[in-house]
Amino acid sequence: MTVTVLGISGSPHRHGNTETLLDSFLDGARSAGATVEKVVLKDLDYSACRGCNACHKDGNCIVKDDAIPLFERMMVADCVAVASPIYSMGITAQLKGFIDRGQFLWARRFVTKTLEFSPEHLARHKGIFISTAGQSWSHVFDGAYPSLTALFHDAGFEYYDNIVANNMDEYKGIKNHPTAMNDAFLKGQQVVAVLETQKKQ
Amino acid sequence: MTIKVLAFAGSPRRNGNSETLLDWVLASMAEDPEVAIEKVPLTEANINICRGCNACEKLNKCIQRDGMDIYHDKIIDADIILLSSPIFCMGIAALPKALIDRMQVFRSRKFVLKLPIVPPERKGKRLGAFLASAGQDWPHVFDAAIPSVKCFYHVIDIRDADISYLMINHVDEKGAIDKHPTAKVDATKLGKTIIAELKKRLAA
Repeated sequence: MTVTVLGISGSPHRHGNTETLLDSFLDGARSAGATVEKVVLKDLDYSACRGCNACHKDGNCIVKDDAIPLFERMMVADCVAVASPIYSMGITAQLKGFIDRGQFLWARRFVTKTLEFSPEHLARHKGIFISTAGQSWSHVFDGAYPSLTALFHDAGFEYYDNIVANNMDEYKGIKNHPTAMNDAFLKGQQVVAVLETQKKQ
Repeated sequence: MTIKVLAFAGSPRRNGNSETLLDWVLASMAEDPEVAIEKVPLTEANINICRGCNACEKLNKCIQRDGMDIYHDKIIDADIILLSSPIFCMGIAALPKALIDRMQVFRSRKFVLKLPIVPPERKGKRLGAFLASAGQDWPHVFDAAIPSVKCFYHVIDIRDADISYLMINHVDEKGAIDKHPTAKVDATKLGKTIIAELKKRLAA
């Protein structure tokens, strides 16, 4: 059975550093035999979570747009790679807007208690965060991780790895980074190999 | 002398816990006759997300025409800038993150073009405060929001030492904050403290 990988690009800037790094990861996954899809959040139509807590009643979101179908797509993939550049020390408003809409999954897990993931399910579903930042600080990604943790856990993915590259302003772009593009490609290959082995077990 | 307060209410839910916290701070500030308050609910502010085009690094302005055209000037003009947000998924909500990302034009002005944000005589005479609520009871629930909040203030010449924080966890359903033992008292006190501090700075 083929491993399926879904890439979600949360950058408003098409084909910039972060999306390019995501593409390298997806190329690696494809080269290892995975079925790969990429979704660009910029092309979707979804609004921010209204904080209405309607999902706390029955586990469903009352806002009908492109966000919920994307969560459904994500949850049938074996691996999801979520990418965002760092803007103002955090993920983009675009990606945060999508992640916040996952509240209905949180509600299913903790309020209506209609969604539960076994440790085996989590081990067989891997979430990877891909990011770039202009800043050189090593802690520039720290503010992003907790929201990705929330997303992966609520959608049933183990938070498997981060593929991050800082100091883009200095490198003048991801393609000039000495290792990032190749690392992302290799990590794409490796995660597919791991998931394939698990599928055979 | 008029003290100008600009307050962004960042929650998509009107009159929820974080906005109530903001309202308490504003009510306490409003008791001073010299204070003029403008409150902006971000649900009505028409602020698009940053496109990451970096045009502001050259143009010293944003190429998008929307609500930020108005708030850009108001942000420079204000003496006190308040921002409120709930914590969603361990971070600041998407709506205030969109405002923060659009502050990129100030970042470009300050750090790329090396131009002033406010006239030299107003530096150190502006204050900020971040008001937040979270449903979670974890004490670290606010940690990931703070670096972005600091960015919001740094790029408009409000330093770390000039930012106050009032963050209340374990309040989820609408109105939960009304039952919190200290939130209202602390918010009222914070409003007074900020106004007193600003007056001291303006007199110096």
